[in-house]
Amino acid sequence: MLSNNKHKNDKVLKIFSSIRCLNKDQFPRYMDGRLTDIEKHLVEQHLADCDLCYNALLALEKEDDQDKYQDLTYKLQRFVRNSIQPVSHVQKVAQYTRKEKAKEHLLLYFWLLAFIGLGIGSVYVLEGHIRNQPPPVRYVAAVTPSREPSAAETSTPAPAATPPVVTPVNNTQPEVSTPNPIQLPDAPLATTTATTTTPGSVPVDSAAIKKAAALKAQQRKATADSLARIRRAQMLQNQQDSVRREAEKAKEAEKNKKEKEEEEKKSQKQENTTETNPEPAKKETPPPAALNSDEYLYKAAMGFQQQGNYGEAIDRYRKLESVSSGRYQEMARYQIAVCYRSKGQMGKARRMFREVVRMDGAMKNSAQLALDAM
Amino acid sequence: MQQQLTNLSDKELISRARRQNDREAEGVLMERYSHLLVAVTMPQLHKDSSLDPSTIFPVLLQRLSASLKTQTIYKASEWILHIQKGFLGKPEKNTPFYPSREVRDLLHIENLVDKATNNVIDSNELMLRLEQAMDRLHDEEKTLLKQFYLENKSFADLSAITGQPRDKVRAQLKSAKGKLAKLFMNQGYVK
Repeated sequence: MLSNNKHKNDKVLKIFSSIRCLNKDQFPRYMDGRLTDIEKHLVEQHLADCDLCYNALLALEKEDDQDKYQDLTYKLQRFVRNSIQPVSHVQKVAQYTRKEKAKEHLLLYFWLLAFIGLGIGSVYVLEGHIRNQPPPVRYVAAVTPSREPSAAETSTPAPAATPPVVTPVNNTQPEVSTPNPIQLPDAPLATTTATTTTPGSVPVDSAAIKKAAALKAQQRKATADSLARIRRAQMLQNQQDSVRREAEKAKEAEKNKKEKEEEEKKSQKQENTTETNPEPAKKETPPPAALNSDEYLYKAAMGFQQQGNYGEAIDRYRKLESVSSGRYQEMARYQIAVCYRSKGQMGKARRMFREVVRMDGAMKNSAQLALDAM
Repeated sequence: MQQQLTNLSDKELISRARRQNDREAEGVLMERYSHLLVAVTMPQLHKDSSLDPSTIFPVLLQRLSASLKTQTIYKASEWILHIQKGFLGKPEKNTPFYPSREVRDLLHIENLVDKATNNVIDSNELMLRLEQAMDRLHDEEKTLLKQFYLENKSFADLSAITGQPRDKVRAQLKSAKGKLAKLFMNQGYVK
């Protein structure tokens, strides 16, 4: 019962099954009754719905001349093929060319955009490069400070000329170094004038530009060399000064000693001759000698400190500290602390400053300040 | 390409001819219906001897081609018959084609049946609804439909049973199917 029902149900759906229109061969076969039962039923199902096919069937059934129908159908099909195929071929070609053109256009736009982007980028980079490059005015600026040290060089020999103790080697070096910075400013000026005159007379030439660039490079090198030389000369000068001072102090000390000896001799003579007030004379002379030696040691150490030779300076100060007492000891200790501080040994520096503070002398306040600042 | 297109359905060919302006698809569609067009036009050619098939068919094809791109087509056969009749009846007037409501309903139900073939639940529901719609038909129509579709009787058998000519039997069948489709479509509103 159930299966029977299902069978019936299935067939209900058949009412609305879609069937294609009859083809060219099906018509004569249907009319002649050459179709199978199933095929015939399907054709009739379609004929029940489709007016076109049913009208065609009626017309064909009435038609006596079947050959005419076949001929006309063949002709129409050929016409359709002939009229549409070339058109479709032309269409395809047109579509292809359109696509190709679109591709070309896209490529063109892409390259255009890429070039524009590159151009903008390169301009930006160039601008940045130019901005970062030192302007040509700086040549003058670079030369002018070189003059200052040269002036300093020229001025320094004046005090150096007064003291007679100057080694000949030291004297020659600044003389050799001084002419260079003076000559150098002239060279870039000359080249700048040359470069300024060339564009007017000769059109822009790559060789000329290269030459100018080479000249500029040379000038730069020369200025850099001169600056280095000046620095070296300054350092040497400082060393000379310190050595000179030391020598002066040594001489002074010797003179003092000689004077003392002479005085002692004189006093001994005087004692010998007249034994009156020997003590005050003795008391007066030794402190200045001690002071002088302390001062000399202190200054020598100071010189090393100024040169940046902190180790040597500290050694000197230590000697001074061990030898002298009072003010110079305190100062030496303070300077040792300063040296340690500038060397970066903060612990030692702090300790020394504390010692200075503990000594409770004239440097107490400054030591305390330095301690606070550390 | 031609071979591939011949396997496509009418709907696909029409959409290709419209959207992609594919003349080849259009050609395949015309070729598919060319024998029917010739067969339908033959009586007119016999009646009016002034009609020249070499001029009539190209013009007819042009008209079909023009209407293909502009008008809504549910069933190609209905559309071709409408254009052919309009052209031969009033050649000077370009009668536009409007698909009938019945044909649209039929097409809708055909699509539903097509989809339901692979789905048991859908097909069962569809069968139930169809049977319900069938119950509302007149007995004569119901028996006619049952005899033709369920019992596989031919036009000749039916005309022998009813004593009516084939044309009338076919017309009765068509109207009964149309009614069934209408009832089926209106079931949703009746519920």
